[in-house]
Amino acid sequence: MDHHQDPRGERRGSDLRADGLSLAYDDRVISEGLSLRIPDGRITVIVGANACGKSTLLRGLARLLRPRAGSVLLDGSDIHRLPTKEVATRLGILPQQPIAPEGITVSDLVARGRNPHQRFFRQWSDADEDAVERALCATRTDDLADRCVDELSGGQRQRVWIALALAQDTPLMLLDEPTTFLDLAHQIEVLDLLAELNDCDGRTIVLVLHDLNLACRYADHLVAMKDGQIVAEGAPGSVVTRDLLAAVFGLDAEVVADPVTGTPLVVPIPARARRRRHAAEPVDEPAVHAPLVDVGTSASNGHARSLGERA
Amino acid sequence: MSLGTQARPAETEAVGTSSRRARRDGNGLVVVRSRRLGVSTRVHRRSVVVSLALAAATFAVLCWSLAVGDFPIPIGDVLAALVGAGSDDADFIVRTLRLPRGLTAVLVGAAFGLSGAIFQRIARNPLASPDIIGINAGAAAAAVFVIVVVSGTSAQVTAGALAGATATALAIYLLAYRKGVTGYRLVLVGIGVTAMLSSVTSFLLTRAQIYDAQRATIWLTGSLNGRSWDHVRPVTAALLVLVPVSVALARHLRVLEVGDDTARGLGVRIERSRGALLLVGVALAAVSTASAGPIAFVALVAPQIARRLTGGRTLALVPAALCGALLLVSADLLARRLFAPSELPVGVFTAILGAPYLLYLLARANRIGSGG
Repeated sequence: MDHHQDPRGERRGSDLRADGLSLAYDDRVISEGLSLRIPDGRITVIVGANACGKSTLLRGLARLLRPRAGSVLLDGSDIHRLPTKEVATRLGILPQQPIAPEGITVSDLVARGRNPHQRFFRQWSDADEDAVERALCATRTDDLADRCVDELSGGQRQRVWIALALAQDTPLMLLDEPTTFLDLAHQIEVLDLLAELNDCDGRTIVLVLHDLNLACRYADHLVAMKDGQIVAEGAPGSVVTRDLLAAVFGLDAEVVADPVTGTPLVVPIPARARRRRHAAEPVDEPAVHAPLVDVGTSASNGHARSLGERA
Repeated sequence: MSLGTQARPAETEAVGTSSRRARRDGNGLVVVRSRRLGVSTRVHRRSVVVSLALAAATFAVLCWSLAVGDFPIPIGDVLAALVGAGSDDADFIVRTLRLPRGLTAVLVGAAFGLSGAIFQRIARNPLASPDIIGINAGAAAAAVFVIVVVSGTSAQVTAGALAGATATALAIYLLAYRKGVTGYRLVLVGIGVTAMLSSVTSFLLTRAQIYDAQRATIWLTGSLNGRSWDHVRPVTAALLVLVPVSVALARHLRVLEVGDDTARGLGVRIERSRGALLLVGVALAAVSTASAGPIAFVALVAPQIARRLTGGRTLALVPAALCGALLLVSADLLARRLFAPSELPVGVFTAILGAPYLLYLLARANRIGSGG
């Protein structure tokens, strides 16, 4: 198991897939019969409207939620049949709302990420020390090592949590909305960091993100979810289309090429602009999309409507 | 050492030849490891210093309490008697009359402190200690039942207290359980259970014969009067088992503190670990309550004092236990000597010291609206 402790050493493949997965909280079924394969060594981003089940899927993939039916396979074996501590050496998860104990310092918190590699008699090995140092450096939190987590800014704190996940040193990392509560600059910083980890040591990264444009920029593989089901998946360029945005997000938007990365850039059309365009038709409006009937509804109401209803 | 930017390759480290070394980084953490034994751990330097100081202070107060009394013995003779080299009189007074009481105070105090620290860390709430959430109240109700209804022997009272504490803990756990146990629910359910059990105790007392009622009242205050080696042995045996188990489980506690999902992700079976920790915490509280009565506030206060002494970081178990020992042995010394020759039950003193702190905690929880 030692070779896991050096991320530059030989890595076991990180093959994670869901097979006919049904997820539920008590009697509330979120997803049924969901199958998904996470591409190895890539960044996968799961997107969808609020409450579409994307965080639930991530929790299912990370064995935090026991499936009702189906299974999650990690390197071919059912993740719930593997010893949980062994899984923790291969797969790390940063949940949405982790808790920092009162008064804890950054380095102490990050060190707790080493738990899966520690044994009763080996509670602080050289590998532990190295992994924590590397995690602090990679997330540029080494200056903060002695500070209390309570007194950090939101962006710093998020970097510290990512450092904890990094210290765990797993070939597979799942992160649930790691950019929530961060301003744009810090969102970019966090995502750049994850992209760098993916580039440098080929870690497989799975993210849940809210911001579609950022998702398109950073994802190799995009998974769009609606009502607990996967609606589309693939490269962002092939997934993010005007029709998909309408179907998944209930969003009326143009999709243009991002001037920097060339990935899809979603430009939502505000209701007011839509009314103006509608009034001006057909002078400057080429008829490339379905006529907009439901003009009065706010574009951002978050309820997905099917394309059929709109026609 | 500073946390530099270079990451050393693991191979270089692996061929290191030192068999045992201690390193220190800027965080006041000392790494202790032995390559030959394959053992390594990391400790907080200040916690070690504070623990040693607390242990020394506890020993000093213990010796002092062995020296003073109706028949004062010079401290040198006390030390001689402890190693069995004193005069016959001193030997008898120190080793037969005073030492069992002093040792009971030390052990019970340590058990309460440790139990409080475990509960407070699991619940992430300084109010969650066995004396607040009803475990002591359960032991008390059962003990009073044995005294008043059965007129049981002191061994039966002890057994009753143990059973009461365990049953109450189970009830609180089941009542507070909702897909796991959260701190605030534990505290609220515990306070409710405490109120219920206190009324049971009061009811039993009103039905009691006057002699039984007096005996029950003294037991309820928590007292170390007249402890013999028969009291010391069971507590010692329990601590010999429970302390190592707590230290072993502390590893899981460190991970449980960062939230359930994170802990699961880090490979901890959270319900099992938390269950084991709660079991140990309950056992510690039950054993100490059974041997000294429901002494108030030691479990609540000791971990928090220890936390401040160790630099206000996270709650450490060992300093909390030592702090509990020091608190109780000091309180008992005061209880014995302040109004000598009449002795007060030690619970009176811990209550006088602890109640203002509880008020402070409640006021603070109210102000920040988070339960502490």
